[in-house]
Amino acid sequence: MGRIGARYVVNRMLAALPVLAGVVVLTFVLVRLLPADPAAFFASGPAMGPEEIEALRRQLGLDRTIPEQLAIYVRGLLAGELGRSLVTGQPVAADLAARLPASLELTVAAFALAVAVAVPLGVLAAARPGSLLDHLVRLIAAAGVAMPPFVTGLVLIHLFYVLAGWAPDPTSRSDPYLPSSPPVTGFLTIDTALDGNWGQFRAVCGRLVLPAGTMALFALAPLVRMTRAAMLDVLTADFVRTARALGLSRARILLVYALRNALVPVVTTAGMVLSYMLGANVLVEKVFAWPGIGSYALDALVASDYAPVQGFVLTVAAIFVALNLGVDLLCAAADPRVGLE
Amino acid sequence: MKRRDFLEGGLMAIPAGYLAMQGIGPAVAQGRAETLRVLSDGVPNTFDPSGAGANRDANGFSWNVYSRLVRFGRYPVAGEIYHYDYDTLEGEVAESWEVSPDGRSITFRIRRDATFHDGTPITAAEVKWSLDRAVSMPASARQMGTGSMTSPDQFVIVDPRTLRIDFPQEDRFALPNLALTFPAIINARLARQHATAADPWAAEWLRENVAGSGAFMLDSFTAGQQIAFARFDGWTCGPMPRLRRVIHQLVPAPSGRALAVERGDADIAVGLPPQEIEGLEGKPGVRIVSIPMRNAFQFIGMNNDIAPFDDVHLRLAIAHALPYRAMFEGVMRGRGRPLFGGTEWIPASAAWPAPQPYATDLARAREHLAKSKVPDGFATSFTFNIADEAVAEPLAILIQEALAEIGITLEIAKVPSAQWGTLQTEKKVPFFFDVSVAWLNDPDYFFRIFYSGDWRWNYGSFRNAEVEALLAEVRFERDRAVYEAKVRRIIEIVLAECPIILLWQPSHDLPMRDDLRGYTYYFHRQVDYRVLSRG
Repeated sequence: MGRIGARYVVNRMLAALPVLAGVVVLTFVLVRLLPADPAAFFASGPAMGPEEIEALRRQLGLDRTIPEQLAIYVRGLLAGELGRSLVTGQPVAADLAARLPASLELTVAAFALAVAVAVPLGVLAAARPGSLLDHLVRLIAAAGVAMPPFVTGLVLIHLFYVLAGWAPDPTSRSDPYLPSSPPVTGFLTIDTALDGNWGQFRAVCGRLVLPAGTMALFALAPLVRMTRAAMLDVLTADFVRTARALGLSRARILLVYALRNALVPVVTTAGMVLSYMLGANVLVEKVFAWPGIGSYALDALVASDYAPVQGFVLTVAAIFVALNLGVDLLCAAADPRVGLE
Repeated sequence: MKRRDFLEGGLMAIPAGYLAMQGIGPAVAQGRAETLRVLSDGVPNTFDPSGAGANRDANGFSWNVYSRLVRFGRYPVAGEIYHYDYDTLEGEVAESWEVSPDGRSITFRIRRDATFHDGTPITAAEVKWSLDRAVSMPASARQMGTGSMTSPDQFVIVDPRTLRIDFPQEDRFALPNLALTFPAIINARLARQHATAADPWAAEWLRENVAGSGAFMLDSFTAGQQIAFARFDGWTCGPMPRLRRVIHQLVPAPSGRALAVERGDADIAVGLPPQEIEGLEGKPGVRIVSIPMRNAFQFIGMNNDIAPFDDVHLRLAIAHALPYRAMFEGVMRGRGRPLFGGTEWIPASAAWPAPQPYATDLARAREHLAKSKVPDGFATSFTFNIADEAVAEPLAILIQEALAEIGITLEIAKVPSAQWGTLQTEKKVPFFFDVSVAWLNDPDYFFRIFYSGDWRWNYGSFRNAEVEALLAEVRFERDRAVYEAKVRRIIEIVLAECPIILLWQPSHDLPMRDDLRGYTYYFHRQVDYRVLSRG
């Protein structure tokens, strides 16, 4: 199993290479089809004339043909360079390296919160279908989907920051008045803990609660629904009836036999939700001034700043590939019938 | 509980004494009083005063970390709030200067005690290198050229404390240009170490590093997120700033910036739309600074090259059909200085921008329309940049309704910011709303940028031989009376031809905590930390 698993992982990663190459070329061409000239956007200071715009265009290499530009980009990519962002003025690779941990920290916290709430709720709802709890769960699920995350975010800010005064101001990841810790992992919770900077650690955790809660509310719905549906399916299966007939306890049936069998669709959904959260939490990042990769890519797109958009799409594509692989491995572990080929 | 420490403190039960043990408590308390926290919609994308594609925050950055030879004075507009005074210059790195009788050279005496952040003295050599650089870098060369500074040969070191600038002719734009952000005085000894044959002006290095001479030093920077400044205690080029530390942070959501100022967690919120500013009015602890910007204007553009806007009667018809009052009161909430409703078609003064003699008068609008090539009206589009949506969208709707009255049908089109520059540069938009700023305030400068030339800033694509000739004549005119007579003639032509319709000079509205004193509006619209203090 171990050797097969390892070979499987290597094969899957090799198979992902053409996908990533396709993503690179497609994004590269697509952003250049946008009807906007980055040089005209950025050379818009006072006294910027046609000559200045032309000079900037040359400096950006935009005076070359698209195949030439692509060749230059790919050469850089092979050397680990993703180009330079005009919006931030920094190398894209450095920007993404600084911002990906922020996105991951938020997403992982939100995801953990969502799973911790959604799976028990789904199981309980399925155990008593039609009960008050079941209806409540369905209501929460529907509301979570119906409310766009930025609305949830604004409502939470209004309740907990403006009215109650419990939450810190939604303007940063850490307290700007406290000393910051040297970056090690980029996850501020970990970095401040490593540093023993407990004041900042508390500030960081406090600032994580509202945005993570906002995202978790959004992610809750698909997870609860999928858990409930899968559990309902499994609970009507023959082996559950057998287990009941054999007099096994209700908890043992639910948690050991039924849940394990319901896990495959839940894990698959969770994987999709997680990857979706990573790429699509732009609005939450904007509302909470969270310096993640989503808002980075959006700002770049608005300014038709090509390099960061390309770097973002490539990064997210790579993460999707890795997540899909992880989901498949987890499914195989949860259900031996799901084989690895 | 004074602060919102439920989430911060309540969840993690860490003994309060721990903070004191670490010595954080007192430092923070002192930090908050002497720290200014500014929330903005951007952070600098380059540290280079002549950086290519620099954003607005980059101008504010170089303003605070670099000094210049001279600076504009300021005049009060309301209680301890100021506007820069274009007509008064004072020394910064220069302690004095002397203009030769023929006006063709200016000799600057450099302050004896002026130093860079690294403690080395500012001498004529570094000043020369900085000015050489400003006239050589593509992003600043054109602006410096508007002050007749085009070649490094013009900057002459007389002795270590004296620098002379030679001009081909006397130019009244020379000194004001030296007070702009571009000719920042850079620590040339430091920067030169990073220059290469391919990059003689150390542009690569100065983009990400500061060789500063200003009142503030760069303390920390997280690209695209936050920047912190610490006061440079060795600054001698002006009164010592009262603030010790400034945190400038990017907060994308305007509501987040507004809330943090309202609750006292931040001091200044930059770049808020009018609705957010209105929401903050009257909140305890918040003061809204409102300064009419004498160098900015909002306007209705008409591309004089695209039919039917090539017809002066049509342009005048529109100028008399716009619902100015409703637009100014309804959309701008009356904030700013109107540029409509004037009375003089032949101006008595050369001051500009000034109220134009256009007013809402449908009868007159119909008369003009009847004389135009489209007497029965026509259909066109009205375009604006999504970035200006908060103001432009309600304006567009008012304009749409008003022009429908005289038979002109408008389709409103919004354009993404990235595309707006391209469309404007390529002159593809027939009828639009836009905002613009002139960095120098003389009337002829205004007309030279916005009413002549084959470039983006000539919003109306206006071409008039007499105006071109007059602009050339007044460029170096030394006789004030002659200058003003010719400028008045330009104004008269422009009013009659109506290439674009100026609406108003918007007001610079900035919510801040009410204990802040000394806020000053500058042409670059960024916060000058040097002049701010807490009451």
